[in-house]
Amino acid sequence: MKRKLAGKQGNRPLISGRDSNGYFLPESLAEAVNLLGQAGEGLKVLAGGTDLLVDLYERLIEVEGWLDLGLIPELREIKVRAEQIEIGAMVTHAQLEKSENIKKTLPVLAAAAAEIGSPQIRNRGTIGGNVVTASPAGDLLAPLIAYNAVLELVGKDGVSRVPAGDFFCGPKQTIMKRGQLLSRVLIPRPSSGTIGCWIKIGKRKALVIASISLALVVRLAKGGVIADIRACFGAVAPTPLEIKAVRRLAGGKRLEQLDFSQVGELAAAGIAPIDDLRGTAAYRRNVARELLIQALEKVQSTGGEIIADQADC
Amino acid sequence: MQIRLTVNGEERVVETTATTRLLDLLRTDLKLTGTKEGCGKGECGACTVLLNGQLVASCLLLAPQADRAEIITIEGIGSAEGLDPIQESYLEAGAVQCGFCTPGMILASKKLLEENPRPTVEEIRRGLSGNLCRCTGYHKIIAAVRLSAQKMADKGEGKDE
Repeated sequence: MKRKLAGKQGNRPLISGRDSNGYFLPESLAEAVNLLGQAGEGLKVLAGGTDLLVDLYERLIEVEGWLDLGLIPELREIKVRAEQIEIGAMVTHAQLEKSENIKKTLPVLAAAAAEIGSPQIRNRGTIGGNVVTASPAGDLLAPLIAYNAVLELVGKDGVSRVPAGDFFCGPKQTIMKRGQLLSRVLIPRPSSGTIGCWIKIGKRKALVIASISLALVVRLAKGGVIADIRACFGAVAPTPLEIKAVRRLAGGKRLEQLDFSQVGELAAAGIAPIDDLRGTAAYRRNVARELLIQALEKVQSTGGEIIADQADC
Repeated sequence: MQIRLTVNGEERVVETTATTRLLDLLRTDLKLTGTKEGCGKGECGACTVLLNGQLVASCLLLAPQADRAEIITIEGIGSAEGLDPIQESYLEAGAVQCGFCTPGMILASKKLLEENPRPTVEEIRRGLSGNLCRCTGYHKIIAAVRLSAQKMADKGEGKDE
């Protein structure tokens, strides 16, 4: 049985014009980049489809063709190396949630993945899709920034790498250029003494867009001195946001030397929330403050055990 | 375009398009109307099927994404003469009212019990968290899953003897 959709020869004639039958299944990243380079705006890059097919259903997008990344094996891999963890863009939330390696090395990311959507969504939705969709409330984004992830973009002009913290520029807007694909997420392997916490607040426990979320990652040096601390929030600004003032205030101190209320105030002051159907700006400022206090307390009291929490509100 | 997939153990070849959802392929082309369309946005779980053993929302898959896949729909669970223990349990527990969510609930229950034959109530809630029911208030559905687990355990013990 020859696959009608795959194969370079079958692809070419469909790519131009308004051919609504266009469905492309490249089997390598190079082929995908090539196809994307030839195509216009109407060719949609399809990962898990859990956002894109909702947009299609609501007629928010015009589709002239699909570039389905589902047959590119390297995009499905999680590789744990000595210095970094490499996660292919098509790795699903369910893979992240269940991977022993991810749970061990990047527990805040695993905890966030475990709370996305529902089993049905987690089985299809991908880390790459979550990143590229760039919703301010995207659940994996704050953890990725907190872990200093680097995003690898591939285009016809080659490979470029950009820190996750510099990737997002607005709601559903990123620095990615037309013709580029996200191939991998590269995360420096956290040193021992790295502890963290994930908290997502939503109206339900499942299938909920976060009203606000927090990924806190703290790296403790010998003697308990904070070598690095990243407090990153979701759904509090046009992009996922690190409160850098926390790093400036807390770096070099020990957790017990910090006035958590004062650190919490930095969060309340540092975010740029809006009123929307999931909460008001004022609510988000209050909750941001309290979440950071709570997260610091939990990190301190558990000495590093990861807490994935979801408050009822 | 043509896709080839196995549905409830039977190989099917279907002429379809790049924008047809798996849900529509199942209901319209294959006339398997046990799979329901609720929200169309992956939020209600009425369209749940098993794709290569994984729980998915068939409204959030394009038909070509299911090329060469193995699909199980509610029509592939039990039969009119011999219900699956999960189906029996749903009837016995009174977990079916309007019935619209039931196919998805049963598939989610099946997947849950395959992975975790003795789930706690919390684990049942998590396993079924992608499926909405607007009639029952969920208590009877959870009771049905617990009853299923019991039946399957009893059956398993019977087999060992």
